[in-house]
Amino acid sequence: MNYRRYLTRKLVGLFVTVLLVTTLNFFIFQVLPGDPTRILIPRGGGSPTDVINLTTLRNQLIREWGLDRPVYERFGIYLLNLIQGNWGTSITYRPGVDVWTVIVPRLVTTVIFTGTATILSIWLGMRLGRFSGWRHGKKSDTTVSLTSLLLYSMPTFWLAIALIFIFAVYLPILPTGDEVTPVLYGSYDIWGQIADRGLHLILPLTAFVLNNYAIFTLIMRNSLIEELSEDYMTTARAKGLSQFQQLRRHAIPNARLPVATLVALYIGWIFSGAIVIEVVFRLNGLGALTWEAVRNRDFPLLSAIFLVGTLGVVVANVILDIAYSYLDPRVAEA
Amino acid sequence: MGAAFAKLQDIFVGERYEATRQKAWNMFVTLARRPMAAVGLTIILLFIIMAIFAPWIAGPFPRYFPPANIGSPNLTPSGQFPLGTDTNGRSNFALLVYGSRVSLVIGIIASFIATGVGTLVGVVAGYYGRFQDQALSWVTNFFLVIPWLPFVLIVASVIKELELLPVDQRGFWSTLIAISLVSWPTTARVVRSKVLSVKTLAYVQRARAVGAGDGHIMGRHILPVLGPLIFANTILTVSNAIWTESFLAFFGLSDPNAPSWGTMIEQSWNNLDFIRGAYWAFLPPGICITALVLAFTMVSHVLEEILNPKLRRR
Repeated sequence: MNYRRYLTRKLVGLFVTVLLVTTLNFFIFQVLPGDPTRILIPRGGGSPTDVINLTTLRNQLIREWGLDRPVYERFGIYLLNLIQGNWGTSITYRPGVDVWTVIVPRLVTTVIFTGTATILSIWLGMRLGRFSGWRHGKKSDTTVSLTSLLLYSMPTFWLAIALIFIFAVYLPILPTGDEVTPVLYGSYDIWGQIADRGLHLILPLTAFVLNNYAIFTLIMRNSLIEELSEDYMTTARAKGLSQFQQLRRHAIPNARLPVATLVALYIGWIFSGAIVIEVVFRLNGLGALTWEAVRNRDFPLLSAIFLVGTLGVVVANVILDIAYSYLDPRVAEA
Repeated sequence: MGAAFAKLQDIFVGERYEATRQKAWNMFVTLARRPMAAVGLTIILLFIIMAIFAPWIAGPFPRYFPPANIGSPNLTPSGQFPLGTDTNGRSNFALLVYGSRVSLVIGIIASFIATGVGTLVGVVAGYYGRFQDQALSWVTNFFLVIPWLPFVLIVASVIKELELLPVDQRGFWSTLIAISLVSWPTTARVVRSKVLSVKTLAYVQRARAVGAGDGHIMGRHILPVLGPLIFANTILTVSNAIWTESFLAFFGLSDPNAPSWGTMIEQSWNNLDFIRGAYWAFLPPGICITALVLAFTMVSHVLEEILNPKLRRR
């Protein structure tokens, strides 16, 4: 009974958030000055070969998005377009192409990369957090905490560039970027191709994990320290449990809970980091596309990327929250 | 308004001035005694000195007419150009020193705006509860959940197109507004949960019982208690703002007239310096960003530990 109410509340929350995202996404671009088609249509007459006729494109845009109507009608048209899967048309990056066509091939790379990188970061982060929390106040704790903070403070793109410089240029043992070795990739057999892809993922994954594991370390550490000061830990010590058992059976399971809640909150953060890594390592994901869209001032494309990314993050967030409530039923009751 | 003014009077000229000053000084001493905070404060101080005395340290900002701090493009480090020159022939060292001004100014101003907005939202949400709290919490959580980078990029690139601002100021304002817009929710959340616990305390109840208005209670009874918490949060926000600014610069959205450390890295990256092995061009700005961000983080980390003694137990 209670649980159903929790689910309903989560789903209503999701609906409101989605509505907020789309509203925000619509109104941010309403702020743009003047006739929207002036910004929406590439400056200086579009593509050099003039494949698309600009007047046709302009009229098409005006009709499609109701640009000659008042703002509330435009918002309605915009929502209707979104539901029908018409998310807009790229204007400068690939002029005249539907944004979905541009985005979809990029999604796979981003999802695979972000997923792997996140799991690795959480694993390493919790490992180090446990180490650090158990040795609270000792030298090893300070070393781990400070190193984590240091890596966490580095701008993602700079850390990536520095790693490329060290491991791909100074000691040329790893590729400088790209998903596969150009040209040669086609001549490998299937295992060679998998190995090649793996080799190209080492540096991006390292850069990402080094930059992001600290969040989980610090949370795990603080939560473990808090648990260690609880009465039940004194009891466990008094019972004569070994240190390993105290940690493994009593402290860790409780200390893990706050980390699990925070994973949901940090998805957006993680996604942002992945974008930058993709740009620096030339991985063909959503991130590299964001870079192109910003550089080319391709606003419809940028808007669609923002929508896809944000909706993905918001939905993943709710799924994680619900999954988490299975692990810790107290959440649903609160 | 009247309450706020009376509060300001109290802090700066009134009889409570001495007490407030004494408290602030005590906090500073406690802070400076902790090695981690002392290191952080020293680094921040060094960068502030670097920003203020930039012309004495590095000479004039690189310019072509009359030429100053300008050489041939892509020079290797030498006596005249300790970090070589960039692709436009500007001295990397001079850019680095002047870059500290951009980071500090953007970081501090954006953090003040964000803290102001965050405190306002947090106090109102926490104090009134009910409908106001529901609505504000939804908005706050919304901004916390969405991926910050695409959001910042969109806001900055849209504001850059606005014709309200003079062309040469667009980069500055778009960066500032975009950073403030993603930075306020964390403050709002922390402040809200503190207000929730403070408003149940006996003295607040008593103030309400003797007929104090909502504005008076919030301004004179709740806000002063939040002081240290807000201060710790402001410092953390500064480090986030500096970090975020470097990302905007890397995506080419910063102020072209005032190159920041992020801009230097971006230009060096576009120039393929890391392939050519010109590490002097891109390593120092990154080290500066990391050092400054880390310094602010360390100070706020220690402040948080002082304010939340539960972490110190055991």
